[in-house]
Amino acid sequence: MTVIAAVPTSGPGAGEQFEQLYRSSAADVYAYVASLLRDRTAAEDVTALAFERAFRRRALFDMRRGTPRSWLFAIARNAALDELRKRRRTGALLHEIADPSNELEDLDSDLAERRLLVREGLASLEPRDREVILLKFVGRLSNAELARVLRCSESNAGTRLHRAIERLREVCGVTR
Amino acid sequence: MSRDELTASEREELAALDRILAREPVGEQHLELAALVDSVRAGAPRMDPAFAERLDARLAAPGKRRSRAGARVARPAIPRLALAGSGLVAAAVAFTIVISSGLLSGGTTHPPAPASSPALGILPRKAPGAAASPTGTTSGPLASGGVASGTAVAIVPSTNFSGSKSLSARLVHRDSTLTLATPPASMQRVANRIVAATEQRGGVVQSSNVAIQGPASRASFSLAVPTGRLGSLIAALSTLASVRALNQNTNDITSSYNVEQARLADNVAARAALLKQLATAATATQQAGIQKQLNGLEARIAAEHRDLGRLLGQGRTATLHVTVVAGASAKHAKAAAGPFTTAFHRALHALEEILAIALVVLAIVLPFALTALALWWGATAVRQRARERAMRTA
Repeated sequence: MTVIAAVPTSGPGAGEQFEQLYRSSAADVYAYVASLLRDRTAAEDVTALAFERAFRRRALFDMRRGTPRSWLFAIARNAALDELRKRRRTGALLHEIADPSNELEDLDSDLAERRLLVREGLASLEPRDREVILLKFVGRLSNAELARVLRCSESNAGTRLHRAIERLREVCGVTR
Repeated sequence: MSRDELTASEREELAALDRILAREPVGEQHLELAALVDSVRAGAPRMDPAFAERLDARLAAPGKRRSRAGARVARPAIPRLALAGSGLVAAAVAFTIVISSGLLSGGTTHPPAPASSPALGILPRKAPGAAASPTGTTSGPLASGGVASGTAVAIVPSTNFSGSKSLSARLVHRDSTLTLATPPASMQRVANRIVAATEQRGGVVQSSNVAIQGPASRASFSLAVPTGRLGSLIAALSTLASVRALNQNTNDITSSYNVEQARLADNVAARAALLKQLATAATATQQAGIQKQLNGLEARIAAEHRDLGRLLGQGRTATLHVTVVAGASAKHAKAAAGPFTTAFHRALHALEEILAIALVVLAIVLPFALTALALWWGATAVRQRARERAMRTA
């Protein structure tokens, strides 16, 4: 994958490190954005936009203010929310992500049922709860990174995450 | 316990979650959480391979393809350009202000501004009740800029002394003293130029004394010059040598003039009355007595005419006493200071100028910068709030 042609002048957020960041997080960023927007086409645009923005601003990245991954997810989140705002203004139609039920056909019935249940449960969550679950489970961010993306304290991020997990369990009927 | 504080078991569960995401083993009590994570991750949308290829190509040449998203990204360059442009404009304005204020020329070497050339030293009368000082003195080096004659106005009083009207403007006598310093070798040249400059302005040299005696050389002049040209003459003389001191005195002689004129009018009226009496005098004795009074009045009237003429002459003509002493002029002093000292002074002066420009730029830019910062901060806050609102309503 020949990702970044430009050679960085300096800084931890540029060059090979950026390519590495792209390789390791592109799929996760897309999954997070697509789950937020529930629109494959818009998710593709926003994902591309997020990486372009990150590439252009790579010289501004400051390691002291967070990890590259949290920085990238913050950019992607802003881009996704801007897309949501725009969509609300223009009343654009959703191109819903295709029902992946057929992907579950090959799985064990219990597992397939469980995944379907979790998927529906996640979709029924409040957007803020769903987002924190996605950032943690799909984005695999640490609590500190989560706090940076959500612009809150680390303890607040932990609390929000725990409550979101509890609500997901609740809507999925999962007992510990 | 605050809202953000978690219990120990909750913290343990979050720690287990991190281990699950890092694909590390966890205890049995967290297997349910691991299954939940697995289900969520498995249900997350996957990137289409075709899109992955397009994204690779797009990021491989970020500058080549300008999508609508790319166009949006390029927008932040506009504020930067605006900021740079504002900075340049501010610098230009500051430079202009500094130049026009004379800071770059040191601010201390301006020759005095020439006077506004009044015909006489007559100043406008102040409003009744205004405290007008009859005399005034201005002294100091020429750096004080200009001379007091700059406020004089051209009002020509009547030369008919027999009138009873007093002056409607102030009559001021001006008397100045100027001390110059020049190298002994230049003493004669400076003396000659002082005379030439005085005559050029319609003035006269009332007295002069030039003594060329090496370091003890000295010259003194008493000059009379039309009051309106006093400033111009001082300015011209100041360019001939270094100014050591300048002292300017103004003496309001309006009241003296008015008193004399009133007295003259009374005497003229008395003379007219006496002439009538003389015409109707019956006896020679009466005629002789009246004639004697008339003679006395005539003498007083003549004296009052002279006094009025003298006062008017004082208002019309200013005196300037110039003393030239031997000494190194500023130019010569600079030459004697040596190249390093001169260079040091020049560098210091350059630093002063740079500092002045920087201060003016700062004074211009700072309010704009603070306003722009506040606007930017406000816009960012509003945008972020709108984003969060979009998230809540997603």
